[in-house]
This record gives sequence, structure tokens and C-alpha cells, in this order.
Amino acid sequence: MNPIEMNPVALQWLLYFGAMGLIVIGIAGVVLHQNIFRMVLALAIAEAGGNLLLVIAGFRFGAVAPILQDDALQTLNTSNMVDPVPQAMVLTSIVIGVGIQALALALIIRIHQRYGTLNMREVHACMMVDINKSAAVDDLLSAQQPRGRRPLPSPPESTAKRANNE
Amino acid sequence: MNSIVLNIALPLLVAFLLPLIHASSRIAARITGPLVLMVMMWSAVIVFKALEYPVSIALGGFLPPVGVSFHLDQLALLMATIIPLLMLLLWPYQYEQNLREQTVLLLLAAASSGLALSGDLFNIYVFYELISVASFGLAAANRQASSFAAAFRYLLISGLGTVLALTGIALIYTQTGTLNLAQLGLLSSRLDNPLGLSAFALILLGIGVKAEIFPLNGWVAEVYSTASTRTSALLAGLVSKLAVLAIVRILVVAYDDSEAGLMLLVFGVLGIIWGEFSAWRAQDLKRMFAYSSIGQLGMILLAFSIPGEAGMFAGIAMMLHHLVVKPALFLLTEKWNHGTDSLRGAARLSPLAAALFVLFALSLIGVPPLPGFWAKMLLMSGLVGMDTSVYYIALAVLMIATVVEAQYLIRIAVTLYSASDRSSELRLASNTGVMSLFAVVLLSALLTLTPLGSKLYHIAAESSNRALYIRTTFNVNPTPVLEHKNATQEASL
Amino acid sequence: MRNLTALLFSGGLAFLLMVIAWQFTLGDAPMLIGAAILDNAVKEVGAANLVTSVVLGYRGIDTLGEIAILFTAATATSMVLGSFAMTDEASETEQREDGSILGSSVRLFFPLLLTLGLYIIVHGHLTPGGGFQGGVILAGAFFLPLLAIPGRSINHGGIALVEGFSGAAFILIGLTALFSGQAFLQPLFEHGVIGHLFSAGSLPLLYIAVGLKVGAELSGLLANLAGISSHAAEAEK
Repeated sequence: MNPIEMNPVALQWLLYFGAMGLIVIGIAGVVLHQNIFRMVLALAIAEAGGNLLLVIAGFRFGAVAPILQDDALQTLNTSNMVDPVPQAMVLTSIVIGVGIQALALALIIRIHQRYGTLNMREVHACMMVDINKSAAVDDLLSAQQPRGRRPLPSPPESTAKRANNE
Repeated sequence: MNSIVLNIALPLLVAFLLPLIHASSRIAARITGPLVLMVMMWSAVIVFKALEYPVSIALGGFLPPVGVSFHLDQLALLMATIIPLLMLLLWPYQYEQNLREQTVLLLLAAASSGLALSGDLFNIYVFYELISVASFGLAAANRQASSFAAAFRYLLISGLGTVLALTGIALIYTQTGTLNLAQLGLLSSRLDNPLGLSAFALILLGIGVKAEIFPLNGWVAEVYSTASTRTSALLAGLVSKLAVLAIVRILVVAYDDSEAGLMLLVFGVLGIIWGEFSAWRAQDLKRMFAYSSIGQLGMILLAFSIPGEAGMFAGIAMMLHHLVVKPALFLLTEKWNHGTDSLRGAARLSPLAAALFVLFALSLIGVPPLPGFWAKMLLMSGLVGMDTSVYYIALAVLMIATVVEAQYLIRIAVTLYSASDRSSELRLASNTGVMSLFAVVLLSALLTLTPLGSKLYHIAAESSNRALYIRTTFNVNPTPVLEHKNATQEASL
Repeated sequence: MRNLTALLFSGGLAFLLMVIAWQFTLGDAPMLIGAAILDNAVKEVGAANLVTSVVLGYRGIDTLGEIAILFTAATATSMVLGSFAMTDEASETEQREDGSILGSSVRLFFPLLLTLGLYIIVHGHLTPGGGFQGGVILAGAFFLPLLAIPGRSINHGGIALVEGFSGAAFILIGLTALFSGQAFLQPLFEHGVIGHLFSAGSLPLLYIAVGLKVGAELSGLLANLAGISSHAAEAEK
């Protein structure tokens, strides 16, 4: 039954570490990247890792998919099947992921239109300027920060123009 | 008892159909939402009154360990009553272009009720995600550039939380092979190891994003200062409490007598320190309240980390108090969209709003006769009752945080009542009506302190009783279905 | 500084997760509810695809929550993008001429994809497939013309109609069970002969509702995103 000539234990290790690795890659991507579109992609990778982990939770060696077909439909033998619950859960969580990613893309489109940038730091800086303006607070906190490290937000119009020229 | 599923089915049904209702009749679409919320409240109250002891209902007619079950106890039904009530108060009645926002609010109401009632780990996750997506939509509903950016950052942090929570659930499933909370309670010995605890930590971090838990609360100040005040009030008042409630359910049932409670304590203390000191530094009211709500939620987590009835009692009291006070304070900021310095002398122009602010602020600090004092008192006596050095440290932090909290809130109150040198043109909140309602609730809680206290103690005793939870779930009454011999037998082992 | 913090954070998290992976007990994971479902699903639900009996039977409420999440995401997306105003403007801009190859292949593929999607939805209780998979294919069928002919308007009213009624149908089937004295979302009707098209009670109906709902939501989402991007492309020129 086993299509891969491999020690079951070793394969299981590989699967677990693979799933955890995907999660780590995804989370590291979200934390380390500055491009907000890439952050969403990294989030998708991390979600794939979580889903893979769920599938592995229901996996067992030599078992078949939990669908009665052909012979099994006559005998109704369900003893040699993998756990169907994690598969249903994965179906659910994939759809949840799709919804969240679509919403994230819509937000990215709007952010790019308004702020003209996809860089998280610039978006954050523009947002803080807007928040401070609407709260009628002087930008005291950023004035206290050491200069130089934090790029000053460029005004939206010029950046929008630049983005269009590219 | 089965009729409580209407609290989920009905708002979802109407939300799906609302665009079509709107297309046929605008007036019908405007009144449908509040009507549904009223029906939800009515149905929750009916079940609440009829409830003598906790009941578990099996969805789809499949008995609990296998199917999804809802756990109906007084705490769950109390939340199920509060959800539509608070939403009715914060409903966007006066705006015209808000069909989609109303739809999303109805979805939020359904998801919140589901989260309060659910007794299944993965079902909790699904409803939590529904709440998440709805709150992203509400956060962006302002259509300002800054609210899009804030909603996106919120979505990213929340998305990370989703992944962590999903990982935690997968870990628990590999260890136990089940998702039902009661059965996890029976199998809790399998979770009382490093792997099980790390699964709890992952779920705590994941769901804790909405509960404004310490390392994952970067979104709080941004979203609350860019979203509309009604949205902030809902997120800070309701959604955060429901997330805490879900965590507490998992903790009480599946992680009894393990170190998981200490994890809550650590995150709670960190949240208190971070939230209160950030609030102290804040320059405008919205951000001040946002940070202070992080601190308050830290206190709530701290309360729930005390094992047993004492912790549950303190936690529920803190939770309900915060649920009344914080939305009111956020509503107050609707017209106060300015730095704290410009509030000078504002009390002269709008005395009622200023007086209400002082009332809520004093209750939040915990000045003796007000309900906030009693809630904090319960928390402190609970901490002292533990008689362990860790809890004493937490107590010390709590004391210091209270002083800080008092300092910044009283600073605002003094500013409000100080004489202004220039004629301030600032008119305070226009909808003092809703805020006065919150104040009435707060003061009536003060008047009925004794019966309320004993009722809350009753609720706390019931919901901190793990054996009762498990027994309830496995003695399901409605709609007989085939017995699942395997699952129940293995569960009882 | 910020990069260093981020690096430390992700490194710590990686370490934590790898330690968790190291701790896994080897061998098959315990299977409690899974085993019970494998034993009883044929008797209780009567679907040949046991995953379907979990998705629509044992955990039907999760599926309801799931389509609600898709609906919320679609609503929130149109809230963010402001779809209706956009499509009005987009429909004013004339449709571009489609290339004949693209156009005819779309016309060729559209009915094929539609049939395939509906087949997968209807056979969801028998074969690996179902409402979600089929719904995605349906959405693809409706999205294909948008890809081939940018700027083409899509019928938002129709989408709203389908998504409203299919979602309502799912809940109403569940409520029918409730009001007939059973539990919410309890499977209705006789199970029939397992493996036949008309079997598994109300599950195929539920899956048709899910399929149409998913198809409508995803087409709405894609049309929104495509509409705004083609609109932005117009604006740039």
C-alpha cells in the first residue's frame, strides 16, 4: 500500500517538520517583509502550513480516503480509512483563508490608491500622520524618536504620481 | 432550549437576505436589523428564564462527542442577551448609506452568539473567524485612507493569530483525537504535558488577538482611533470579552489544574503594565481609552487566571463592568476628536457629558461606592487568597497600575472642569442619551449590589464547575439519535 | 533595530514550533470522534463520501459559519471597494473588442466549466467533490469572460439574488428540521440507497445551496477586484 519506500516514522517526522517549517516561513515572512502584498502571500503560506498540520493529524499509514466507492460500497467496510474530521476542518479553514485573503487584497488596492505605496513602514507613517491630524495632536512621539532611521512619509500626491509612472 | 439556535440562524438568514430586502423596500431594510436583534434578545431571555441547570444541545441531532454541541449555562445566556442589547444601543440608526454595515453587524451578532454558546473547539474557531472578518469590515467602514491602513494591519496581526490558533487546535487534535470541550476535559491528562500546554499557548495567542493580549495588540490604538466610535465601542466592549470568554472556557474545561492559568497571569500582567503606561503617555482621548482598555483586559485575564470560583467571580464582575463602561467612554469621544489639552473648560458647555465622564472614570479607577470598586475588590481579594508570591507580584502591579490609571483619568476630569481662558467652541457628545443609559445601568448595578453579587456568584460557581460542564454535555436530552458507543466509551476511560 | 526585533521574534517562534514538532509522539494519532464517525456515518447519514457527512451532517454548523465568513468577506470587500458605484462607471466605458481566440475559447469553456461545476456539486455526497469545489469552478466559469474581455460589466443584481437565496436555503433547510421537532441542521428525509444519486437525505440539497453560495460569493469577489483594477487601468490612461 505504501507508495513511498520509506520508514513510516521518518515520513511522519518529515511531514510534521514540513508543516511546522511552512508555518515558520510564513510567519517570518510576515514579520520580516516590508512589502504588504508579500506579507499577504506569506500569510497564505503560514495558513497552508496550519492546514497541512491538520491533515497530518488525521493521516494514518496504509489507510484510504474516507469515500465509499466500488467494492467498499458493497461491503460498507470503513475500517481502513483515514480520519474524516480533519479533512472537513481543512475544507473549512481553506475557505476561511480565501475570504481573508480576498479582503486583504481589496484593502491593499485601496491603500495603494490612497497612499501610493506598498511599503509597510511608509503606510504606517502615513497612517500615523493621518491619525495625529484627525486627533489634532502634534506629532510629538515621532519628534522624540531619533532622526534618520525612520523615513519621512512623502505626501500622497507625489508618491501616487511616482507609482503611476513606474 | 433548542430554540436558542435561532440566535445564530435568524441574524444569518436576515443578513443573507438584507440586500434583497433593501432592493424591494428601503424602509423594510432599515427596520429589519433592529427587529432581528430584538427577537434575539427575547429568545435569549426566554431561555435564560427557563434555565434551571446547564443544558447542552446537540446540533444536527448528533450527540456531543461526535457532533457539535452548544453549552447553555447562565454565563453563556447572559452574554447571548447582552450581545443584541449592546448592538441595539450601538446600531447605526441615523445614517443612510449603511446597508453593508448593517449586514456585517448582523453577521457579527450571529457569530458572537455562536462563540458565547459553542462547546466545540473547532466551532469556536469558526465563529471567532467570522467575528474577525466582520470586525475587519467594520474597521474599514469609515473609508478613510487611515482606516484602510489600520484595518489591513489589524487583518495581518489577526491572520497570524488565526494560524497560531489553527496550529494549536491541530496539536490538540493529534493528542486527543477529539474537538469537543467536554471530552477534552475528560482527556485533560493527555494535555497536561509540554505539548498540550504549548497548544494552549498558541490558542491563547491566537484568540488573544481580539482580547487585546499583550504582544499582539499593536492594532488596538490604530483601529480604535480610525474606526467610527460605534465600532470601537463594539470591539472594545463586546468582541474582546467574547474572546476572553472563549479562552476561559477552554482553560476551565480542558486545562484544569495545570500551568495554563499561570500563562494567563503572565500575559495579563504584561498587558496591564503596557496598556496603562501607554495610556498615561497618550495625547488624545481615543488612544488613551484604547490603551486603557488593553490594561483593563489584562486585569480581566489576571482575574480569570485565579483558579476556582473566586477567579471566575472576579473575572465576570470585571468583564461586565468593563462592558458597560468602555463603550460609554468611546461614545463620549465621538465629538471630542481633539487632543486632551483642548478639552479645557468643556464642562461648562456640556455639563451632562462631563459629569458622565467623571462617573465612568471614577468607576473605572475603582472609587469606593461605584461598581468598579467592587469588581476590583473581588480581584484583589482573589489574588490575596491565592497566597503565592507570583500572585502577590501581580497584586503589586495591579496597585501601581490603578494609581497610573487614576492619574491619567483624573487629569482629564480636571481639564474638563478647569476654567478656560479662551471661549471653547467644543460641544461634547451629542448622543448623551445612549450614554445616560449606560450610566443608568451602572448606577442601578450600584443600587442592587447585593442581589447582583449573589447572582453573579451563582453564575461564576456554575461556570467554573468543570465536572458539571462535562456531565451536562454527556447527558444530552433533546432529539434521540443513535448512541455513539465507541466515542462515549473511550471518553469515559 | 526593528529588523533585529523581528528576526529575534521569528527565530524564537521557529525554535518554539520546532521544539513542539520534536515532542510529537510518533505513530498514529488517537482517533476518537473520527472512529465513531467512520463506524456510524453510513447508518446515520447515508452518504458515500464520509467527509461530506462530516461537513454537512456532524459539523453542519461549521459549514454554515464558513459560508457566512465568505459572505462577510464579500460584503466587507465591496464595502472597501465600493463596488456598485464602480461598476456603474465601468459600464459607461465601452467594452473593449475581444480577441477572437480569447473570445471563442471563453464561449467554448463557459458551458463546459458550468457543467463540470454543477456535476461536482451534485455528486458531492458520492465522490470527492462537493459544494466548495464545484462552487469555485462555477465562479471560474463566470470569471473567465471578465479575464478575456476586460471592462465587461457583470450582473451584480443576479449575484446578489443567487447569494441571498442560496444562503437562505441552507438555513431554511436547517430550520425546517428544527421546527419539525428535530435539532437545527439535522439531516432530513430517508437516506435511500447508499451510492445512488438520490440518497443521503437532504445533504445534496444542502450542498447545492453551498455550491451556489460559494460560486456567487467568489464571482462577486473576483468581479469586484477585477472591476476596480480595470477601472484603475482606465484611469491611468
